[in-house]
Amino acid sequence: MKPRAENPLLWYQLFGLTRNRWRRQPLLYGALVASAALTYLLVFQLIAYNDASLGTALNFGLFAICLFAPLMAYNLFSLEYEKQTWESLALTRLSAREILWGKWGAALVRLALLTLAFVPMTLITIDLVGTQVYATVAGWLVLFSWGALLTTLGMWLSFKLKRTISTASTLYAGQVFALLLFPLLYLTFGSWDTGIQSISFLQNHWEGFLWWVGSLFDARFVVHLNPFYVNSQLGWIAQERPWTGWSDDTVSYLKGLYYLNWGYTQSFLYLALAMLFAGLTYRGLKYAWRK
Amino acid sequence: MLDVKGLRKEYGELVAVRDLYFQLHPGDVFGFIGPNGAGKTTTIKMLATLLEPTAGTATLNGIDIVRYPEEVRPLLGYMPDFFGLYEGITVTEYLEFFAAAYRIPKAQRAAIIENVLELTDLTVKKDAYVETLSRGMQQRLCLAKSLVHDPILLLLDEPASGLDPRARIEIKELIRELGAMGKIVLVSSHILPELADFCNKIGIIEKGELLVWGAVDEIVRQLQANRLLEIKPLGEQEPLIQRLEREPHVHGVEARNGSLYVHFAGGLEEQADLLAALVRDGYRIATFREESLDLEDVFMRITKGEVS
Repeated sequence: MKPRAENPLLWYQLFGLTRNRWRRQPLLYGALVASAALTYLLVFQLIAYNDASLGTALNFGLFAICLFAPLMAYNLFSLEYEKQTWESLALTRLSAREILWGKWGAALVRLALLTLAFVPMTLITIDLVGTQVYATVAGWLVLFSWGALLTTLGMWLSFKLKRTISTASTLYAGQVFALLLFPLLYLTFGSWDTGIQSISFLQNHWEGFLWWVGSLFDARFVVHLNPFYVNSQLGWIAQERPWTGWSDDTVSYLKGLYYLNWGYTQSFLYLALAMLFAGLTYRGLKYAWRK
Repeated sequence: MLDVKGLRKEYGELVAVRDLYFQLHPGDVFGFIGPNGAGKTTTIKMLATLLEPTAGTATLNGIDIVRYPEEVRPLLGYMPDFFGLYEGITVTEYLEFFAAAYRIPKAQRAAIIENVLELTDLTVKKDAYVETLSRGMQQRLCLAKSLVHDPILLLLDEPASGLDPRARIEIKELIRELGAMGKIVLVSSHILPELADFCNKIGIIEKGELLVWGAVDEIVRQLQANRLLEIKPLGEQEPLIQRLEREPHVHGVEARNGSLYVHFAGGLEEQADLLAALVRDGYRIATFREESLDLEDVFMRITKGEVS
């Protein structure tokens, strides 16, 4: 991407939209910030006083990302159509890449800030149960990449559907289907077999790679790609190495997760999907806006 | 110069715009007239490079708008019929946004924005939030935004729609001024008195077809092969009607609202002779004048009220 020193759209999306609203409605926004801060502290304490595992801490963060990431993207383009501003924007000298980066970049910056907010929550689990760096970093990556997938999908949907309400409802309903109903349906009809036991036989990363390739053709993929499931397994990995005192089965299972690059692979796939939707949006801009 | 060459837009079976040809020069204010659904907005969107024509093209200063939309865009300013503004920022910030988006160097922006605000009479509102402006002021801000990069062609789609009478007059004045600045202004409307005041050229479109285009006076002259004279006599009309019907240049007489409307094929000389003859014959004439066609008459004569 050709770097540009100035992207007015990125500035507007990041600051212009909200900057003055904070000033004009300080009470409303103050109350919102206070509520968010209180909720954050409550969750923080919940994790600290209950000796929660890394998996639990990550799933708190993931829940928040599932809730808030769509809000960062659901109106990125639909608002341009609804407010009839897209034509003026299309006629400027901003390229399709700059428009895409202006919108997507702003959403990603917000998402990164939200992800960072959950870093302290995951870090406090280190002292409590001895979380490993491997699992913690993977957890942060899962949070950010799942959010990136949601925001990018939201951006593309808002470009295609051109309606904010349709985009928002599709994003939330889609998450309910993808994260809850599909895995439940699969597990109900599949005797609750996640297929994860087979990983105990993995001996190295190459076998782990082949396992992923094979799972692409398996319906269990909907479970393995489920970020809540990914986090719960990361909670397992986050036990102290070399898993002393554990049964051989458990140790080989945890090693299997490690050979699968568990968490990193899923993050890569989420980001790859995000890039796909970003590419589709870019292509749409080139074609529909004639950029 | 804007040279439109066979511009055509089809949506399946429907021909929205049918092979338009016209040319406009710097300083021309072109009134694009037609009923709703005639193809005005489609034409403007094609000229604005937002819509790809099915056939034909147009060139702006020699640059093909279909082949090189990115090169043409900095040369044109566009104000859509329905438009929105980026909210949450001030008028100055809004113009700065577009100045940056049009790659105007930072050092020049403040002066340009000041000039544009002055031209559109928005200086007093420069620190106001965009969403707090009245509809008329928002319209002017949208126009100001279209001017920050100093375009040579301005495409204004129904610029006065939804405005109160005062705002309409102000926007008309502004358009006139832009024409005087040497810009090519294409302004569409279906409200004819709006355009009559400031357009030097018009084009009438109906059902996607440009029925006529050219200088306003020329079109009126073409349509007015027969002059229409209004004669208001004092006393009885019937003897005067019989007298007029004997005149060689008179092609018909209608009596309406106490006046006689005479279809007259002669020139100014013959017109003066007719008046002298009537007075000489003892008719008492209170009014004797030529009815001239206005834009509404032109429009009504040319169009059939069909949409594409």
